[in-house]
Amino acid sequence: MLQVKPDIAFKKELGRMSGASLNQCIQCGNCAAVCSLAPPERPFPSKEMLWAGWGLKDRLLGNVDVWLCYQCGDCSRYCPRNVRPADVIAAVRQKNYLHYARPRFMGTILSRPALLPVAILIPVAVIILILSLAGTFRIPEGPVDYSKFFPHAWLNSTFSLITLVFYGMAFYGLVRFRRDMKRVIPAPGPVKRPVQMLLPVLGEIFSHSGFSNCESNRLRKYAHMLVIFGFGLLLLVTLYAIVATFTGDYPMSFRNPFKIAGNVASLMIYTGLGIMIHQRLFNRRVFGKTGYPDWLLLVSIFLLTLSGTLVEWARFGNWTIHGDNAIAYYLYFFHLVAVWFVIIFLPYTKLGHMVYRTTALLYARSTGRK
Amino acid sequence: MGLAVCSGCDIGNCLDAESLCSLMAGQAEGIVCMHHPALCSEEGLGKLHRMVRDKKLDRLAIGACSPRVKSSFFQMDGVLVERINLREQVTWVMEAGSEDARMCAEDYIRMGLAKLAQIASPAPYVPEKIAAEIVVLGGGVTGLTAAVQGASAGYRVHLVEKTDRLGGYANRIHKLSPVTAGHTALCEPDVASLAALAESHPLVEIHLNSTLASVSGEPGNFTVELDDGAGTVLRAGSLVVASGWKPYDPSRLQTLGYGSTGQVKTLEEFEQFAGEGKIPERVLFMLCAGSRDKDHLPYCSAYCCGAALKQALYVRESNPGSEVYIVYRDIRTTGFQEDFYRSVQSDEAIFMTRGQVESVRQSGQALEVTVLDSSLGERIRLETDMVVLATGMVPSTTTDLNLQYRLGKGLPELKYAFSDSHFICFPYETRRTGIYAAGTVRAPMDIESSREDGAGAMLKAIQCIECVSRGESVHPRTGDRSWPELYMERCTDCKRCTEECPFGSYDETEKGTPLPNPARCRRCGICVGSCPERVISFADFSIQSISAMIKAIPVPDEFAEKPRILVFVCENDAYPALDTAGMKRLKLTPYARIIPVRCLGSVNSVWIKDALAQGFDGVLLIGCMPGDDYQCHFIHGSELTEKRGENLGEALRTMMLEPERIRTRFVEITGHHEICKMINEYAEAMEALGPNPYKGM
Repeated sequence: MLQVKPDIAFKKELGRMSGASLNQCIQCGNCAAVCSLAPPERPFPSKEMLWAGWGLKDRLLGNVDVWLCYQCGDCSRYCPRNVRPADVIAAVRQKNYLHYARPRFMGTILSRPALLPVAILIPVAVIILILSLAGTFRIPEGPVDYSKFFPHAWLNSTFSLITLVFYGMAFYGLVRFRRDMKRVIPAPGPVKRPVQMLLPVLGEIFSHSGFSNCESNRLRKYAHMLVIFGFGLLLLVTLYAIVATFTGDYPMSFRNPFKIAGNVASLMIYTGLGIMIHQRLFNRRVFGKTGYPDWLLLVSIFLLTLSGTLVEWARFGNWTIHGDNAIAYYLYFFHLVAVWFVIIFLPYTKLGHMVYRTTALLYARSTGRK
Repeated sequence: MGLAVCSGCDIGNCLDAESLCSLMAGQAEGIVCMHHPALCSEEGLGKLHRMVRDKKLDRLAIGACSPRVKSSFFQMDGVLVERINLREQVTWVMEAGSEDARMCAEDYIRMGLAKLAQIASPAPYVPEKIAAEIVVLGGGVTGLTAAVQGASAGYRVHLVEKTDRLGGYANRIHKLSPVTAGHTALCEPDVASLAALAESHPLVEIHLNSTLASVSGEPGNFTVELDDGAGTVLRAGSLVVASGWKPYDPSRLQTLGYGSTGQVKTLEEFEQFAGEGKIPERVLFMLCAGSRDKDHLPYCSAYCCGAALKQALYVRESNPGSEVYIVYRDIRTTGFQEDFYRSVQSDEAIFMTRGQVESVRQSGQALEVTVLDSSLGERIRLETDMVVLATGMVPSTTTDLNLQYRLGKGLPELKYAFSDSHFICFPYETRRTGIYAAGTVRAPMDIESSREDGAGAMLKAIQCIECVSRGESVHPRTGDRSWPELYMERCTDCKRCTEECPFGSYDETEKGTPLPNPARCRRCGICVGSCPERVISFADFSIQSISAMIKAIPVPDEFAEKPRILVFVCENDAYPALDTAGMKRLKLTPYARIIPVRCLGSVNSVWIKDALAQGFDGVLLIGCMPGDDYQCHFIHGSELTEKRGENLGEALRTMMLEPERIRTRFVEITGHHEICKMINEYAEAMEALGPNPYKGM
């Protein structure tokens, strides 16, 4: 039996974040009826809507089902009261990032528009500190060579270390998240080892099979595919580049297959992001509210890719303004800050769904939950 | 006697108006005939009026369109007019120029002329002294509204209230659900000002602490004795019954915790409690408590959802930290109440959950409520300080009208014991003519609807007095001046008419002799159909008039291979359905002859015997749909016919005829396809059965 202790503050917070008027829900169950993911015995997302209506924090944090959702928007489209369950689910996810984020203040900083300057200042200050320690905090002479500005050894070691520290904290959050998932929706029967499920889950993620069920928005599947594969490709290219700094094959030439792959990947990301941004701007009925976390992710990935492209062109083209090629180094600096927002801040931003969703999928599949 | 045949609207293409006229003129003496290509045109009407004037006609048969159209065109002072439906029932449904269509038209004209010879213009019945006063029973919102409205229209109103105070249930109301535009803010109760209006009106006479000792007489002239200690006797032309409701007995809801603790209240109790300003911090409302439940009240009381939402605001307005839980099955807020519902929903401290309360038990100072959440299929437990059960409405009994009628002291009851009300056509109309039910005694409703009901019923009460004073019937034969006359010498006191009259028009002596009250009569003619001695007749509708119509039809002999069936159709639904069939140019067998009747219940079995003796192969009776849906305009005319049909079966056996030769069918007013099918199939079935052996005898 569910002991209900209403939590008005949590309910109001969800309402504020989602922009949805939760109380207007008439519990008709339409959202669950149209959702392609809803298991018949436990209607999704209507039960989450009910729990949100009571403000049941401990049912919504660590709720596996909200992470299985593809955010296709069918529930919002068919809601007779225009409560927009999809936005409520998005807000619940956002609440999850904040709840499991360590240190907590990082979650806070990255979830509030007012704190964006602080979020920018952190990487700026850290990078300046590293450059100062390396003794290269100035614009180098001669043709553009980024390693003169930020020596490879310094870059690879410090950025890897910082990333590991943040991801370590994220892992701690994931462990707590997994523990909560077991409590909120216990496994109904025998449980398989999550490792056994890893391949099927990855297959599911990369094939985008779940996206195919989204009735309201078919383009989204391809947009997401373009971004995720483009991003993956770029990660590979980056890893190769790091290796190349050791093998001496760096900087790569313009005809290097990895370099070409990197450029193709950035084109994929531009296309995917373009579709996503266009849809968020012009398909409100399905997407409902696009909040700060959504824009933060879209814009930072866009700026990361754009600055990467510009950095590359500045190097190959040896860009100068009034005979001064300092512009290339400014772009490089900007690119490094963007790396922070996308890669290092991952546990605190919407990109965190990569790890939360994968963890949730592993739990769901290992407990036989579809 | 005159006959005018129109050949407009395709009639001329199907029938030859000229030869119809000359044929009729040749068959009977003293018949003046005319025909015109458009009888309803200025020229046609001019010719018609000239003929009536020149030949000094007092009876006129018009063979043209249905009597249901153009009635005013063919009304003439001092002339008895019979409309013969050659358009909808012949021309538009039969093959043009065919012999069968011609025979049908000729028969209809013969029937019309035969009827005309048998009927007379009715002399209206008006009670000796008409009382233009109205008694309103019940001083609640409905009764007060009725009284004020009636008095404002210039009628003296006697408002009879059993308690010592006007206002009824509304007196206990702390605040009103929103009634002003926007429908979000609670309103101050205004029953006191309504009561003051009634008290100050010179035409309203208020009788507090009074009940009705007896009501006798008939519309226009009721005698109402009060039980008020003083033995007051009033006269009234009509009555409005607004005796209201009482809450469902909460002691039957012990499973929901009622009675075990003072922390479980009903809506009514909480209303008063809230008025005293002692509202706890957490309150749970359970809607549909003992409503829409086969073990309690099976129906929805229409007001409880709105009232509970209102009371939820009492809780919220009393303390900003308060919380309200509403457990519901469906929130039913009609009309503007939906706006109110949505505004209440915008308060995040009001938690609504779809489910059913399973148990309420004390847990320290608080109550622990278990709810089966029907959306989740899961039990949830909530802690609260008070539980409010939204119990439904139970109508007051109307037996305290103490009617001195043969059919009982109160109004007939409908499903769920609400008082009689013709809810399809006129909701205030009861089976006791001149007595109108209004407000929660006839259906569950909220205050706003009660006001409307009070005003509406008062209008009907006024209309009744006006109709009766002109000797006219009220709904549904509004304006009918005929009334049943009894030839008492031949009456055998068999009580059929007193028992079968749905309106209690007949009282009876101890011996069983009927005592007619013509002003109570709705002119359905059920008594005409009921009387085995055939002593009851209307001036324009009698055993003789219909028999004459039947006998005017020459039935072809068995060798002609032209079967004939006689169809009695009810004028209320079946006849209009046939007209529609005509307008839609559906096909109707030319072997049927149709006779409209006031109600299927008015068909006397002698007519059926006449028809069979005449050689008709079958008799089909088509009436309104019977049953709880109350579509039969005269309540149980159709049912009576079925019952009487059983007795007729016996008669058929003695005549050695097959029982299929009489059939009863029912049709809705929209059933134009069905009625054609019924008649055509019946004609085919009778053709297959073979000719009536009495043919040609």
